[in-house]
Amino acid sequence: MKMLPRVAALLLALGVGVVANAAAGKARAQAARSTAAPLPEGSLFRLDVRLEPAGGGERQLRSLAGHPTVIAMFYSSCTSVCPMLVLEMQRIESALGSAERDRVQFAMVSLDAERDQATALEAFAAEHHLDRARWLLAHASARDVRTLAAALGVRYRQLPDKSFSHSSVITLLDAEGVARDRTSVPSTDQAEFLQRVRDLLR
Amino acid sequence: MRNAIATLAMCLLTVPAAAAGRAPIDGGEFTPVLAPGPTTKTLTVHAFELDRRPVTNREYLAFVAASPEWRRGRVAALFADRGYLARWAGPTALGPAALPEQPVTQVSWFAARAYCATQGARLPTWYEWEYAAAADETRRDARQDPAWRERIVKWYAAAASRDLPPVGQTPANIYGVQDLHGLVWEWVDDYAGLMISGDSRTQGDPDKLQFCGAGALSSEIRDDYPVLMRLALLSSLEASFTTNNLGFRCASGGSP
Repeated sequence: MKMLPRVAALLLALGVGVVANAAAGKARAQAARSTAAPLPEGSLFRLDVRLEPAGGGERQLRSLAGHPTVIAMFYSSCTSVCPMLVLEMQRIESALGSAERDRVQFAMVSLDAERDQATALEAFAAEHHLDRARWLLAHASARDVRTLAAALGVRYRQLPDKSFSHSSVITLLDAEGVARDRTSVPSTDQAEFLQRVRDLLR
Repeated sequence: MRNAIATLAMCLLTVPAAAAGRAPIDGGEFTPVLAPGPTTKTLTVHAFELDRRPVTNREYLAFVAASPEWRRGRVAALFADRGYLARWAGPTALGPAALPEQPVTQVSWFAARAYCATQGARLPTWYEWEYAAAADETRRDARQDPAWRERIVKWYAAAASRDLPPVGQTPANIYGVQDLHGLVWEWVDDYAGLMISGDSRTQGDPDKLQFCGAGALSSEIRDDYPVLMRLALLSSLEASFTTNNLGFRCASGGSP
């Protein structure tokens, strides 16, 4: 979003008029008045994204409703930023008191639809000692990965060696699926993010 | 009699667009402007089919008529910002500011994707789009021809100061595809993967992230301004954004 003015300037400089009326996500209240759907306007639970958790079975993204969720996208064979991503999420987990912790879900959805099947995700969960009561590691189809990444603002591209270049974003969803905060890894605003998690638990 | 002529004229006007359909694009080796990887310059684009023209207001109207959840005023903020179809007279009416054969614009990525899905299709990937857009009337890859480049840059410059023309006015390229240049910007399925550096370790600062992608640009083609402008625009978008000059077309087949 920050990029729009700069790009607009670039395009104008090149003699091309593009009116980007894509106003930032404020004052959305007056947008569609939906009577049929009880979900908030910006809820990610409106997405049709089917997750296949490491433990087997399948569930919709919207099945995360009811509790706040700390969610990120990653891939298990990643050796650069992803380990930091899971460490950062674990840091949030351990900073919470035990009563708080039990009311928060941690979800990691793989960008690697081709290779991150249940077995790979199981191995990743074991390697990082993730408590399966709270942590959801999931595979999704390439199409659903793209949908979820778009909604979370995760930018990614697969490289010829099958690795991914991607932005490392951690998003806080409230119990209704609305994104309440976002941090990136490495970040300097972890304390703020943690406070937002706590606020949702009040 | 006059009525009959008017009806006939209208039929003639609508038939070509209805018959446009999708063109087969042969696959092949390609050196895109956006390099596939830090040390990889070329890639293989698999054969696919691409809409000959951008989706029009008329076609998009039929879609929202059948899919009420995509009508203006009903679509959730998650899926489209407030500019969505703002030029239309109403949720199911085009009106004087949105002519039937103009390309539909002010549509989000989510909306474009949903439209293509109803056609049994998908949005093209960036590389598919760039591959098809490298062609002129007689060559699959005309990018090294200065005259062709100049013509395209002129199209873009002219686009600033006029209402959108109807689709299908620019010359068909060798595949029979029109309007890839000179009409509107177009969504691609992987817009969120553009201008990202090939090195994950540099990720973090979202500003840097998107423009340090210049390092990933193929050096031979760095002066392909029309394509660079597209990349710059697409990489600045979020999936719910809508803009006045941003439309789309669908693709099928291939290996997205």
